[in-house]
Amino acid sequence: MTRTVVRPQWVGELGRSFVTFSAALVIGALVMVATGRDAWGAYRTLFAVAFLGAQNLADTLLAATPLIFTGLATAVAFRAGVFNIGVEGALYLGAFAAAWIGFTLTGLPAGLLIPLAFLAAGLAGALFMLIPGALRAYLRVDEIVTTIMLNYVAISFTSYLVNYPYAVPGLANAMSPKIALAAQLPRLLPPSQLNLALIVVLLLVPLVHWLLSRTTLGYELRALGSNPIFARWSGVPVPAVILQVMLLSGFIGGLAGAGQVLGVNYRFVDNFSPGYGFDGITIALLGRNTALGSLIAAVLLGALRSGGATLELFVDIPKDLILILEATIIFFVTAEFVLTFPRRRHAGVH
Amino acid sequence: MTVTAVVLAVALLGLSPTAAGPNIKKVALIIAQGGLGDRSYNDSGYAGLTKAAQDFGVQIKAIESRDPVGQGEQLLRQAAKAGFDLVITLEFTHFEPLARVAPDFPNTKFSILNIAVEKPNVVSVIFKEHEGSFLAGALAAMVTKDTKIPGINPRKIIGVIGGTKSVGIDKFIVGYEEGAKFIDKETKVLVSYSNSFGDPAKGKELTLAQFQQGADIVYQVAGGTGEGVIAAAKETGRYAIGVDSDQDYIAPGHVLTSMLKRVDLAVYDLVKRLVQGSLKGGAVITLGLKEGGVGLSEMKFTRHIIPKAYVDRVEQLRKDIIAGKFKVTDITQK
Repeated sequence: MTRTVVRPQWVGELGRSFVTFSAALVIGALVMVATGRDAWGAYRTLFAVAFLGAQNLADTLLAATPLIFTGLATAVAFRAGVFNIGVEGALYLGAFAAAWIGFTLTGLPAGLLIPLAFLAAGLAGALFMLIPGALRAYLRVDEIVTTIMLNYVAISFTSYLVNYPYAVPGLANAMSPKIALAAQLPRLLPPSQLNLALIVVLLLVPLVHWLLSRTTLGYELRALGSNPIFARWSGVPVPAVILQVMLLSGFIGGLAGAGQVLGVNYRFVDNFSPGYGFDGITIALLGRNTALGSLIAAVLLGALRSGGATLELFVDIPKDLILILEATIIFFVTAEFVLTFPRRRHAGVH
Repeated sequence: MTVTAVVLAVALLGLSPTAAGPNIKKVALIIAQGGLGDRSYNDSGYAGLTKAAQDFGVQIKAIESRDPVGQGEQLLRQAAKAGFDLVITLEFTHFEPLARVAPDFPNTKFSILNIAVEKPNVVSVIFKEHEGSFLAGALAAMVTKDTKIPGINPRKIIGVIGGTKSVGIDKFIVGYEEGAKFIDKETKVLVSYSNSFGDPAKGKELTLAQFQQGADIVYQVAGGTGEGVIAAAKETGRYAIGVDSDQDYIAPGHVLTSMLKRVDLAVYDLVKRLVQGSLKGGAVITLGLKEGGVGLSEMKFTRHIIPKAYVDRVEQLRKDIIAGKFKVTDITQK
């Protein structure tokens, strides 16, 4: 009699992501060897500067913090088969909302100011998603197109805000006034800038996991994501679920912006994001649209980002290595995405 | 303790942070948003660094990050930890992180451009953009009256497009206006703001509007938006004035001149002072016409259409300003 080991499905899923990540490392190594560099040495150093020592680890987690947020924001939407590309826009609006609370309600104590800033950021992100969410839910307007386009609207709007009504005179670059000291998130491992935002997002991970696996909405959105026709016929209120998913995704995206403003920059800086919202897509796909998977994927990407910046200081490895690794990961995850998701998407959403 | 951990980790791995002899100075340059290859600000700074390396034999490192804004403190701190004698940052948003990091590394010198950070080991570099803009305005005011020059109408109107309404940009604009009025009090200067540094279409539209109002020369102080200013000048056969780097080549014959801001010179100068032992922390270095930090381009493509008398007059004004015969208003000093 053969014994079969029963494993949850996500173990196999994450296993595939592990293969993807390893493949990226192999390709990166090949490129380095081909250009006459010491691949093994580069990876050892990368590992050391990303994980060894409290400060290095703190910097990796600091780089990972916004990515965990945007990964979660994207994962909840993708899990429902809703392709929200607008997390970047939600992040910008959330960042500005948090900054506004931070530099306006300066008299409040930290215990009130910080939760309020996060809440405002989440609401700003959710409100932003109301537009493409409702269009998708009730009028079946393709959310990929609307969210991509609305990103520009959101980013330009925040740019307008810090260039005109909230411009700080005397500074060459556009940025908002500085937030109150009470709004600045405490650091966890000084001198690293790693801050309370990590704790916030680490609390969010089990919350999202619980929501996806243990709630009615979670069941409905998973049903919608895996088989829209079945979901519809089994009584899932499809438009309501889509709208809720978009709002939730926007809310988490907004929190990501708040984390950067309250924890790192202490201001809203025009065009501050290097694409955290878009990175969320890579992370969600690499993390198989699960909360835990997104956490792991974000930390790996954060290690590349943080380690990559330090790597240049120690060895003659250009930051292009990091780009090669990231590009390879993106290539593999999108290849798989392209091969599987459109099939589900066109399996009769309507 | 954590410093020890990093050094230990690196040492165990058989690597040493950029080994150099005891007398060879080490300089790091943190690249700003936009990265190397921008054919502008960052590339200019890096060019100054590589030239300094050749001339003074210092060891250099350019540090690029995908997220220079969010990693501000980390980049500054790690560069200092890695043992560089001088850490120069081109990223403007680092002024606050720098003020926090610098006190932790009293033996490291830091430097930042375009803003003053008051710390005993930070050297700030400020450009006197108003002085260079004064010369641009003076030249434009002379040219705009001379209908013998192709594309010039008889009206004494010139224009300027600013990227944003801010003190940093108005510093250029006020200098430009002052230079124009210095030549002819009746010169009218049209001012528009594009509210963006990366919108050539907007730049073009605003420039065409100024041309319609009678301007024939428009100065761009709007970064990437300025590409549109230059395009409009080329299309209508009129003139633009470039900014920061020598933009004369973008539309040969239609960029009257460019107001140069020598980031390369600033970086070179910092390294030079470091090597000579004259780099004083806590100081603000101002680079104006006198230091060659700002100035007009050589006008390679327009020199033949501008009467020599005008070029000579501009040169005389430059000498007068350097000699201190008169001062150009610096609105940031109010």
